[in-house]
Amino acid sequence: MAESNQQGCLFVGEGVVLKGNFEVPDIASISGTVEGEITAKQVLIEATGVVRGKLTGESIDIRGEVVEYVSATRSLIIRSTGKVTGSINYSEIEIEKGGHLHGDLHNLNPHS
Amino acid sequence: MFSRKPNQASSEEEVLGTEAEEVVEQEVAPPVVTTSEQASSNGYYDNGSRSNISKPSIISEGFVFEGTITSAGVLNISGTVRGKITAKSVLVDASGQVDGELNSEQLVIKGQVKGDVICEDLNIGPLAHVDGNISYKYIHIQRGGKVAGKFIKS
Repeated sequence: MAESNQQGCLFVGEGVVLKGNFEVPDIASISGTVEGEITAKQVLIEATGVVRGKLTGESIDIRGEVVEYVSATRSLIIRSTGKVTGSINYSEIEIEKGGHLHGDLHNLNPHS
Repeated sequence: MFSRKPNQASSEEEVLGTEAEEVVEQEVAPPVVTTSEQASSNGYYDNGSRSNISKPSIISEGFVFEGTITSAGVLNISGTVRGKITAKSVLVDASGQVDGELNSEQLVIKGQVKGDVICEDLNIGPLAHVDGNISYKYIHIQRGGKVAGKFIKS
């Protein structure tokens, strides 16, 4: 889906180091390292991907590593290779067996 | 009245008589009794520890327990527990509720848990509500599980 229409998407390849704040209207796929803030509709942190800073999005899928802050307004999935450290906000969460989670977990809509 | 008194007296005598007999039996019996007790208690112990592993302890739906539970085996909670739980394996069923500390090697939560959790293998079901500090080695949260608190991977 992302390959056919890359409009509004950010791809960070393996080995690439990116520093700064990024506003992504559609998909952010990270295989490299990002230091700073990412806001995207959909975020994919691949197994080699590392994000140090703030990560915000509707749906977030983590196979790599995220340090500091994650906020997913719709769904957050931490895969078996995923590692998340810091403050986490979610409305729906799934953690596969083997996934790491270290920090504070908050439900954005606890009464649903 | 007259007939009762002698009866009572005789019954007392009978009691005394049986007590005396018992004392005699105890005096004679001890070595035999202790050896048989040891043998039977050992046998019972083995059976007990085996049944602890195979048979789960169950807090049924509607049952409210307040206090401390310690078990070397499996504990299934469908009711409510307020207090501290320590067990090898704990299942908090969909109707189950735990308020308090929860220590377990293997922990499956399908219901509600409020309090600090220390475990090795944690599985949180899609309808579960967990609120508290959680220390774990391996974690699996199924989609939809509501979790809040501090997570510490040990």
